[in-house]
Amino acid sequence: MIRKIKFFLISVFIISNINALPSKPKKQVEPQNVKIELPGLELLDYPSDRGDSLILKWDTNDDKDLIYEIMVSTDEKNWKKVKEQKEGSFTSQNIDLPFWIWNKKENKNACVIEIMKVFNIQEEEFFKEYSNGFKLYAKLNVISKKQKSESQTVSAIAIGNWFRADRLNSLIIVLLVSLVFFMVVSHAKKRELFIRRIAGLDAIDEAVGRATEMGKPVIYVPGIGSMSNISTIASVFILGEVGKKIAQYDANIKVPHYDPIVFTVAKETIKQAYIEAERPDSYRDDINMFITQDQFAYAAAVDGMITREKPAACFYMGYFMAESLLLAEVGASAGAIQIAGTDIDHQLPFFVTACDYTLIGEELYAAGAYLSKEPMLVSALKVQDFGKLFFIIFAALLSIVLVISSKAGAINITNTILDILKVR
Amino acid sequence: MKETLNKLLKIDRRWLFLLLTFSILIPIIKPIGISSKSISSGVQDTYNFIEKLPEGSTIILSMDYDPSTAPELHPQSAAILKHAFKKNLKVIIMTFLAGSGGLIDEHIRNIPQQYGKEYGKDYVVLPYMPNVLAALTQMSSDIYAIYDKDKDDKILKNFEMMKKIKNYKDISAVIDITGTALLDSWIVFVGDKYGVPVMGGVTAISQVGYGPYLQKKQLKGLIGGMKGAAEYERLISEPGKGTSGIDALNIAHLLVILFIIFSNIVLLILKLS
Amino acid sequence: MNLIKKHIPLAIVFVFGIMTLASYYVPHRKSENYLEWINIWQNIVAAFALFLGAISLFYAHYKKIERKVDGWGYSLFVYFGFLVIMVAAIVSDGKISDNGKITFLGWSFNNIYNPLSATMFSVLAFFIISTAYRSFRIKSFPAFLLFIAGLVLMLGNIPLGEIIWDKLFAWTNTTIADIKNWIISVPSTAGKRGIMIGIAIGAAVTSLKIIFGIERGYMGKD
Repeated sequence: MIRKIKFFLISVFIISNINALPSKPKKQVEPQNVKIELPGLELLDYPSDRGDSLILKWDTNDDKDLIYEIMVSTDEKNWKKVKEQKEGSFTSQNIDLPFWIWNKKENKNACVIEIMKVFNIQEEEFFKEYSNGFKLYAKLNVISKKQKSESQTVSAIAIGNWFRADRLNSLIIVLLVSLVFFMVVSHAKKRELFIRRIAGLDAIDEAVGRATEMGKPVIYVPGIGSMSNISTIASVFILGEVGKKIAQYDANIKVPHYDPIVFTVAKETIKQAYIEAERPDSYRDDINMFITQDQFAYAAAVDGMITREKPAACFYMGYFMAESLLLAEVGASAGAIQIAGTDIDHQLPFFVTACDYTLIGEELYAAGAYLSKEPMLVSALKVQDFGKLFFIIFAALLSIVLVISSKAGAINITNTILDILKVR
Repeated sequence: MKETLNKLLKIDRRWLFLLLTFSILIPIIKPIGISSKSISSGVQDTYNFIEKLPEGSTIILSMDYDPSTAPELHPQSAAILKHAFKKNLKVIIMTFLAGSGGLIDEHIRNIPQQYGKEYGKDYVVLPYMPNVLAALTQMSSDIYAIYDKDKDDKILKNFEMMKKIKNYKDISAVIDITGTALLDSWIVFVGDKYGVPVMGGVTAISQVGYGPYLQKKQLKGLIGGMKGAAEYERLISEPGKGTSGIDALNIAHLLVILFIIFSNIVLLILKLS
Repeated sequence: MNLIKKHIPLAIVFVFGIMTLASYYVPHRKSENYLEWINIWQNIVAAFALFLGAISLFYAHYKKIERKVDGWGYSLFVYFGFLVIMVAAIVSDGKISDNGKITFLGWSFNNIYNPLSATMFSVLAFFIISTAYRSFRIKSFPAFLLFIAGLVLMLGNIPLGEIIWDKLFAWTNTTIADIKNWIISVPSTAGKRGIMIGIAIGAAVTSLKIIFGIERGYMGKD
């Protein structure tokens, strides 16, 4: 009996195994099952990024009709299709990275995989969950006219970097400017530096003097820029100097404001100017007044002020847009002596035609140094001059090299120069 | 003679104002109909770019102007919106200027209906955002991190057209119509940094300042002033306010030129005598 | 006092200046978080400053009414205008239109703010014409060149200019648009580039001066 059972079990085992043995296929093999070893396939962490991208690259093929299905997975089981890509349609040379961190000479098929987009993960969730890196598996389905085959699987971890090496060129420039800046500033007191005469700034005395004689106020318009505009910062500095002279002469000044932060800063500046001039008792809180943050309502209010008060002098210093002429023309018709200064080049013509003196662009930045004669500030002006000289020579030299290299067909040299110049 | 000429030079400016008023009013009341013959290259480039976009692409139209510059800029944004709808493009309308809310509203009350477009399916309007740089930078990774809702406080992500949009990579072009310096920010922070094609519409006065960007192709196209709007309207065969304002523009410009020539001739005669 | 008014603000400027500069070179999420955090603080400070500004505005106009200075009636209007628009915004829930219907705020926008703003901007045209008449004097050769460039740009900006040019200068085989484009893309762009480079260097040096506390004009001098 036991023998019979044994025989039965063995027969069942054999039959079941016979069924499992590879039989001659009736249909063709499913194309996905064809595994190939794709040459040069590798997955890399995207250099100098915040840790949300990877680069998949593999060798190019002579068959230009090949189509690659890029598949990714987090566990090697559930695969997700990123996209289809034609042979040679996007190569490692198309990746916008400079030559010092990316081999631009290599010509391989490439694909940038953006993890959050592929897996539809919210940004906050991604950086919370995967702060230590995101491991990704990738493979390719290669579709040719004849068959569809599947490549080997590669993996990499996307990690957030701490340095943007692609911005190394701009960092070098920043360090260079800082170095020159420190060298010049530290030698500031050793010798007197020359600044050419700036008529607009010399005329400040004349304007304040006129206001004192006439018993009329001075109106100082700091423009419509915020405190982060360099021109507004320069304007606040000039306001300090004008304020000091006003306090010394015991004249009257009004400063209407567009930006509430500039208003707060200017209030402190004027208060300080009165203290420095030893006239704190003459300081009034209504010298500075906030008007509105609407450009033309502000212009209308200041125009109204000029028309009513007929000031002896008007200053327009800082960031100006279309209101420049609206203010300057009304000031001119009120008979005020007008001094303007802005770095907005397309507003300069309006100021030049309607004002007595105009500070053009950098003259406005130089105002602080010019008025205070402080050696450190004056020497900082020299840094600007050095900077300009450096850029003139640099631009001229590189232009010549670029023209020659592109004419001579030396694409590598041209691309290298362009890479150095490009700020990413 | 000399006295009269001197008087002429110092003429009360209100007479000049009166002359200008009439020279603008008359062509508005009784149009002459002198239309633009040529199309500026900046306008043509903008038109071509939008024309070549595949159907269903999404563009951003940033309307960063308020009523003050609206006479010049409103016809430009209307023309762009009409062109986009004609081409069946999806449009995200946004602004960084608080005063433009009413102007955007005016467009969406009138234009989409003409082309049978639906809110949420073909266009959405984002709310006013004060912090420009934060928004421009944030949208590069995830639009919804900064704009989670639309202007009516509805969840932005739920709109049909937004389903496939995540960041700048899904945006085919940005057109910024502005009377401010915001176009520079779009060029520098979005166009240059993230490679999104940026085009602009600006007032005639600031048009000249964008030469460097156009030359370097950092700007793919530029519409300048009312003339630019009129040209764009001609390209899409939809005459609007740009075309109707061009007569007044003609006469006013001519008046400025005549005044400059006249005052200089008077000056010359005075000098010679 | 010196500590609060000078040393602490300078230290804040230095630390945050360096950190913000460094964040440009750090792609890590932490650097992005820092920038977002700074943005939020900037908005908070701006909101408080706006509040201070509003107080200053009302105080200045209150003083004018109290002292009955010339044109004090306008000061009353400041309060009136502020109240009306604020009520309109509250009643309309801050919306310009609701389901296609224009709200009270929308009405005020279209019929008050809109025409007022447009009027101010259009005044510019009047001022340009008077400035052009009074100030555009061709006294020297550069002024003559400026006039010619201006003339070409103005003619190029209007269709009538094209017609005039074609009537007078058709024989030159160039259009006014060509010349206008040349002026914009060659001499004007060259000049603009120079100014842009100068301004960029100026801005970089000013930033360094501020970060390292050499220029302190913005915080009131010590």
